Amino acid sequence: MTTPAIETVALTRRFGDFTAVQNVDLRVAAGQFFGFLGPNGAGKSTTIKMLTGLLAPTSGNIRILGEDFAAHSAEIKRQIGVVPEGMALFGRLTANEYLRFVGRMYGLDRATTLKRTQELLEFMQLAGEDKKLVADFSHGMQKKLALAAAVIHGPKVLFLDEPFEGVDAVASGTLKAMLQRMIARGATVFLTSHVLEIVERLCTHVAIIHRGQLVAQGSLDELRAGGGRLGPAGPEVAPAGGGPRTLEQIFLQIVGTDREGNPAATAPEQELSWLR
Amino acid sequence: MAKVNPGGAGPHLAPPIPASTQLLAVAWLRWRIFVNSTFRRRPATARQAVGIAFAIVLRLILWPFLAAMVIGPVAGSGFWAWFVVAHHHPQRLQTLLAGITIGWQFVAINGLSVAATVSNFDPASLIRYPLRFGRYFVLRTLIGFMTPSTIVGCLSSLAAAIGIGVAKPSLAFSALAVLTVYALMNLFLTRMIGAWMERWLANRRFREVFNVLIALFAASLQLLNFQRYAPRVPGAQHSWLLNYLQSSNASLRWLPPGYAANAILHASHAFPSLIPFCGLAASALLFAAVFAVRLRKQFLGEHLSESATPRRAAKRGPRVKMAPQEPPQAIIDQPAPASAQLPKAHAVFPPVVAACLRKEWLIFRGNSAQFVGLVTPLIFVVILNRGQFATHPALFLPAAIAYVMLGALAGLYNAFGAEGLGVQLYLLAPIRMRDVIVAKNISGLTLAVTEAALAWTLVLFLKRAPIPLATQVSTSLWIVVVIMVNVTLGTVRSIQAPHRFVPGQARQRRGTPTNRTSGLLFLLAFVGSAALQVPVIWLCRYLHQPWLAAWIFGPLAAAAIAAYGLLLLNAEKLVLSHRDVLAEELCKV
Repeated sequence: MTTPAIETVALTRRFGDFTAVQNVDLRVAAGQFFGFLGPNGAGKSTTIKMLTGLLAPTSGNIRILGEDFAAHSAEIKRQIGVVPEGMALFGRLTANEYLRFVGRMYGLDRATTLKRTQELLEFMQLAGEDKKLVADFSHGMQKKLALAAAVIHGPKVLFLDEPFEGVDAVASGTLKAMLQRMIARGATVFLTSHVLEIVERLCTHVAIIHRGQLVAQGSLDELRAGGGRLGPAGPEVAPAGGGPRTLEQIFLQIVGTDREGNPAATAPEQELSWLR
Repeated sequence: MAKVNPGGAGPHLAPPIPASTQLLAVAWLRWRIFVNSTFRRRPATARQAVGIAFAIVLRLILWPFLAAMVIGPVAGSGFWAWFVVAHHHPQRLQTLLAGITIGWQFVAINGLSVAATVSNFDPASLIRYPLRFGRYFVLRTLIGFMTPSTIVGCLSSLAAAIGIGVAKPSLAFSALAVLTVYALMNLFLTRMIGAWMERWLANRRFREVFNVLIALFAASLQLLNFQRYAPRVPGAQHSWLLNYLQSSNASLRWLPPGYAANAILHASHAFPSLIPFCGLAASALLFAAVFAVRLRKQFLGEHLSESATPRRAAKRGPRVKMAPQEPPQAIIDQPAPASAQLPKAHAVFPPVVAACLRKEWLIFRGNSAQFVGLVTPLIFVVILNRGQFATHPALFLPAAIAYVMLGALAGLYNAFGAEGLGVQLYLLAPIRMRDVIVAKNISGLTLAVTEAALAWTLVLFLKRAPIPLATQVSTSLWIVVVIMVNVTLGTVRSIQAPHRFVPGQARQRRGTPTNRTSGLLFLLAFVGSAALQVPVIWLCRYLHQPWLAAWIFGPLAAAAIAAYGLLLLNAEKLVLSHRDVLAEELCKV
């Protein structure tokens, strides 16, 4: 059996008396394109922060590439790339300066850093923005730069928190192709997105977190077949046109329930008095 | 172990990154941020050019003071060190070193509490890179080395070493060595305090308590009596501060300043010098260790925030309720349904003004720092009453009012600063910006008028001589002038040069040259309008016409009110022509 690229055991994070993530047991095999889904406030970003060392877990263990994160944080950080929730760029640098800084921090030599910086800037269509500071970039440009910084050192595991948000269609296509190429070369991609169509198209495996707890995990085919459930499931959502169920339908069925398994989602028209 | 990636080595097999690579990368990062922040700006528009010109004027005015604040302590330390060694007062060397430490730490801590921390770089963000803790510790110790407190502290220590060396060349080397360790000790002490303060200041309640303590400390400084009467004056006493400093020599011996002073002064004797030096080194190590404990938690991914907030917020629901909005123009003429009737509280003001006022009140209610800001100046009024002002009621009342309104009126110059992205609602909603401005001004002026009324009451209570009616009337009119001049100029600047800030947050964004000059403009406007009192009072006294001031301030008040009215008439146009500035500065994430 191969060592999973990402493995968590009973991962828990509390903020005071609020439990953001509770007993999450994740297992992501090496080379997988893994989608991590959940409604707003479900605990996705908190989980990613713990997996990348930005937030300490309250309890539980994290193993990346078979190594305990707590014991080998520096070595593991060197093997992973991250696009965090807020991108965390240095606004008073140019894109070129930022990538050069990141390359050096990850131990690349000067020549390799410069070469990869140029390649990435051209790949991300940011090469013509030499004079601009990152603070003056549009949201989409900043996202592309954050992605470039996440891959400059050739990471084995890539954590992407909403990577396609605000990125134009052309760049989005290029990025998807790049990620597929990384997967083909054996890297693992751990991605969160609210755009379920993208997840469905890219990911082979999915986990769904809801109210801090993992409620489903498995391959897309398993989930479509009704497997992979770890919690109460809501009423079946019939596929439109009789075809296989979409990820959106599966997602709504799983998270569209309250803690007792009753449907939670209500048609908005029934609630808004002025739309009656 | 099983193979993880095709052709890939496990993380433990990766060769370590040389420390110099990462340390130099961070040094280069800081350098580029400094260069880009200083020289790399967007092409200035005509309006921004005026702002930059103002900024240059401001700097020209401030630089001599800033230079004096650096040169003064450094030259003073050097001279004092030379004096005490040359004139055989060795016990005073530890007083000098204690002074350096107190000054160094006070400036550093105060820098934490001041909202405008001018840094674009959060060193805690470095934890996402593959750094070992040792390197992170070194970086966190060195980053921020170029802060005023560290520079002045280090230069003062160096000057003291030079002063000692000049007075007694045989002590030069030991003084340099000991004071280097002493500077290092101070550096670790600063970092230790800063790291722990950062942790505590993440808690809102602590932040409020801390602000109160800083305000009280600043107020208490006014009560210190630094005067020292000549001993030959019969019955004269030394100030308690000097007495305390003189009596503190014994206790200072057992603290780092005492260790450093004794290590220098006994340098010619190995053993008596070694023990205090070890004490000094142990102090430095202790501070470094306590600093490291805090950093270690940050390094492992500590969450610096209100820990229990999410659950409580979820239970309570949103604290700020949506204010009722004016309906779009298309449906304004339709009769409002019974359920849409406004509550009685809104009957006084138009709906938009009332809604904005309610929002301002909800924000003010949750910001206890503003309460502290309201109370602190009143303490100074009590202090003013102890001085020369007390016996001159014609001066005491306006001076007290001017002082307390200084803080209250400053907020008028950046009325939209705390709105952030919320300013978009004002720009998008079918409302008149005039109403929003009026609401903002009413809330700001309520604060200023309340402050003035409290100070007035306090002066009446504290007065040692009756305050003539003419003084009271002219002061009232003068208050109107000051308020209306500042509210007019403040509103214009709020629209022309807004600066985003987050109330209660220690680390704020650096202001642009344009909005930094608002501070200068405010000072000029306030001092100018407040200083009107001086010649007018002087004229009244010279001509023996106590009511003359009222006759002067009356028309000025009317003119100021007219200017404000004119501004309101043109408010829509002004906001429209500056909406890009408002959006760019306040909405940028």
